Amino acid sequence: MRCLLVLPVVAGCASAGALHQVSLAGQCAENDAACARRHPVAPLAIGTRFHPEVAADIAGSSTPTLHLESAAPDVLAVEDGALVAHKPGASAVLISTDDGSVVDFVHVFVAPVTRVSLARRDGERVAGAIGLAVGEDLTLVPALWNDAQRLGGDADAVWTSSNESAVSVLHDGSSDRRRLRARAPGKSKVTVAINGATATVDVEVVP
Amino acid sequence: MRALVLLSLAACSPILMSESPAPPGRSARLDAVDGFWSIKSYRLELSQGVAIAVSCYRGGPCEKLAVTSDNPAVAEVKPASLGVLIPNGSMLAGNRATTAAFVVVGKQPGLARVHVRSKDGGRELAVTVVPPPAQGAPSTVAR
Repeated sequence: MRCLLVLPVVAGCASAGALHQVSLAGQCAENDAACARRHPVAPLAIGTRFHPEVAADIAGSSTPTLHLESAAPDVLAVEDGALVAHKPGASAVLISTDDGSVVDFVHVFVAPVTRVSLARRDGERVAGAIGLAVGEDLTLVPALWNDAQRLGGDADAVWTSSNESAVSVLHDGSSDRRRLRARAPGKSKVTVAINGATATVDVEVVP
Repeated sequence: MRALVLLSLAACSPILMSESPAPPGRSARLDAVDGFWSIKSYRLELSQGVAIAVSCYRGGPCEKLAVTSDNPAVAEVKPASLGVLIPNGSMLAGNRATTAAFVVVGKQPGLARVHVRSKDGGRELAVTVVPPPAQGAPSTVAR
């Protein structure tokens, strides 16, 4: 039932609370596969922010006004309703009503980033070089990893293109995702750097 | 005679029960400290940064539940709203009431005592907050 309530918001089940009353889910558009994977079922990457949407399933009651509070702010802080991952560890995120009564809590883990990979908007991993025709656009999303485990959270990514005249990197309103635009025939190495980890993809633009 | 009175008082004290599991690799364990006839008190081991929900019951959800910590910097307590009905009073009456509960949060390693008071009696909870495991440290499975 809880999953069904959240489904219209995200494609994928959310992180259920220990008391089975409240779920935390990523604020994602419907059918945005890459975004939906960011729900805090996965550990959050150090240096990232997670913007949760709180959904309650309390018998006989609509969702009351709820507030988030971290049990260990040095590990995971709550800032303006977002979870901010600071250092490795775990912290309970308490979900409370206006009068301070705890309705539920979720233990959220935080882990360092050991690797970055790139994926398309639909979630398909980019494993090799990319070819684009002039005028074509491609949106890439960085994925953060701790060994084999995918991490969650929005990171402030730094993107660079070695040949801006061939491939330019455009913001699209996300802190980490970028749109590549093929401008003129040529080759470019597009690199994304997040918290010291980098990923590079070769892009060739053809007429 | 005095021992009998104390015994009956202890037997009438509320029962505390865990309502949430420990997260992986962390501790959130509530144990009863048994006396000769009944439960003497409770002890709770909690990892830093971890929360546990505890319910209070004596023939029904504890009435007028008030919980305090003598060291909130180590173990913080908050009221909890579980939204679950449980039997209240005589089984024959078939009445039910919402669970009375509270949450204990491990803030930093150390010791604290949590005092549980209610119309149905009180309980003491000796809380030990332990540090989280070191990253990559081997864990002890059995000694």
